[in-house]
Amino acid sequence: MALIKVEQLTKTYHSTAVPVHALQNVNLTFERGEFSAVVGPSGSGKTTFLNMLGGLDKPTSGQIFIDGRNLAELKGSALTEYRLHHIGFVFQAYNLIPVFSALENVEFIMLLQGVGKKERRKRAQALLEAVGLGDRLHSRPTQLSGGQQQRVAVARALASRPEFVLADEPTANLDSHSAAELLSLMENLNKQFNMTFIFSTHDVRVIQRARRVITLHDGKVEKDEIIK
Amino acid sequence: MLVSLAWKNIWRNKSRSLVVVLAIAFGLWGGLFSDGLMIGMGESMVNTAIDRDLAHIQIHRPDYDETKGIHRYIPNGLSLADSVRRMPHVIGVSARTRFTGIASSATSSYPVQITGIIPEQEKKVTRLYKRIVSGTYFASKHKNAIVIGQKLAKRLRLRLHSKIVLGFEGAHGELINIACRVIGIYHSGSSRFDESNVFLKQNYLSGVLGGRTFIHEIAIRCQKSAFVKPITAKLKARYPKLLVQSWQERDPMVAFTSSLMIEYSYFFLVFILLAVLFGITNTMLMSVVDRIRELGMLMAIGMKQSRIFVMILLESMFLSLSGGFAGIVLGVLTIALTKHHGIDLSVFRASLESFGASAIIYPTLPLEMYISLTVFIVLTANIAGILPALKAIHLQPAEAIRSV
Repeated sequence: MALIKVEQLTKTYHSTAVPVHALQNVNLTFERGEFSAVVGPSGSGKTTFLNMLGGLDKPTSGQIFIDGRNLAELKGSALTEYRLHHIGFVFQAYNLIPVFSALENVEFIMLLQGVGKKERRKRAQALLEAVGLGDRLHSRPTQLSGGQQQRVAVARALASRPEFVLADEPTANLDSHSAAELLSLMENLNKQFNMTFIFSTHDVRVIQRARRVITLHDGKVEKDEIIK
Repeated sequence: MLVSLAWKNIWRNKSRSLVVVLAIAFGLWGGLFSDGLMIGMGESMVNTAIDRDLAHIQIHRPDYDETKGIHRYIPNGLSLADSVRRMPHVIGVSARTRFTGIASSATSSYPVQITGIIPEQEKKVTRLYKRIVSGTYFASKHKNAIVIGQKLAKRLRLRLHSKIVLGFEGAHGELINIACRVIGIYHSGSSRFDESNVFLKQNYLSGVLGGRTFIHEIAIRCQKSAFVKPITAKLKARYPKLLVQSWQERDPMVAFTSSLMIEYSYFFLVFILLAVLFGITNTMLMSVVDRIRELGMLMAIGMKQSRIFVMILLESMFLSLSGGFAGIVLGVLTIALTKHHGIDLSVFRASLESFGASAIIYPTLPLEMYISLTVFIVLTANIAGILPALKAIHLQPAEAIRSV
């Protein structure tokens, strides 16, 4: 069974006089262990698509199944709870809680899950070491570079032991060296743990590393290529 | 961690939070000190009245107040006074001869209350003997020695050793005039009292009244104010045919003014807290707006609305409690520092004395007020945090993350 199945997904915004068709009848599936990029120009619907997959927005029509479960059946706190346990997020910016250290940021998501203090500390430390920040556990985000902050974000996304990780333009604010480091890290985690990564990006560096590239244009799937 | 996060969040914008905390602290400090002054003034009125003449408890014949005439005396007043003197927690009893009359000098006359006392007994009940500004409190060989108030002395243009004539109705309805020698002039702190009360030795007054000692008023001083109520109740039960009154019953105006000060002080604090409420709501709303993206991120990763709501309320509470705690500490310190020496308001002496309050006010606040204030602060914080918390939980994560 596919990890994620998207059927006839449509999203139309009516906030302006002219309706905006952000997504139009999108049909896609994603398997476990994918390292896929959703690409397209601005306004193509990449972020909207990721928001739908993450349960952050509701489709106008269509369905999304995650591991056989229809996301539409979940509402309110049940949906929030589902995101907490099944979906990891890495955002373009403002990923971390600025008043917490790197360790506390990673621990926080486990706190929300109800993991005990000792266990979450142990796991947070291990994850930060895995992303190469074992020596920056107690640094606050302002004391970390952009790339380091994103690595903490990746560690936090993995801390919740999600089914998959959604990364929306994760390298947009990074220099090329940091971006390359981050991508290598995510690639290694993908290979090591068979963790599914789905990116929304127009960063060529990300596209070059992805094993599958889905191109959106005006809310429709224009191309769906397996690269590697 | 949520508590830790809330606490750290309020110090993100140190200057903004500090301004709010200081505003709350200074507002409460001012409020507490003003309340302390007001309640101190109320207590001063009460203590001044008790020390001046009221005492803690008074006993009269039920019809005494109708005319305050010489015939309205307490039967067996002296033995009754002795009996009361032996009660536990009673430290002083003064059996007074007291009736109305006219005081005259060469230039003028004025209606007065004439009181015959045994000075040694009276000293155990009131503190008027400490308020002598000229002369002595009956340390004189003169049998017809009289102690008068400063206001009366001024009115009748009398000085120390001046002659004053008292006119009053005798035991048989006859008009009696006696000449007395001013041996002491007092200033009680109440101009009204000073101009209408004169004191003589009881044995002299008894002699003038045909050798009989008429006791019209028994004034009682208790060991502590806490004993007033139970002793009053005992005396009422023991002497049901007499009018036994605590100082509150004897002078309800003083009691009312004192309790009004306390009520007013609570109102004053409530108004301050209302201002605090709006200040905190405004600050928290700004704080939520500043963090829209972060709140969106928190909701996205799986933080429930209820937790976000609690986090905002906690932040509001920490802000209020920080300012509240600082304000209470400042208030406690200021009141503690000024409580012993008092605050000299001599510049308003005339006004204060017209109310019966002393010119030196000793600020004081009951412990219950601090406890009530803490509860009010927590309540205010929770109410203030509701609107910002509601704003936060109604954010749509997808939109919030993308906001500018």
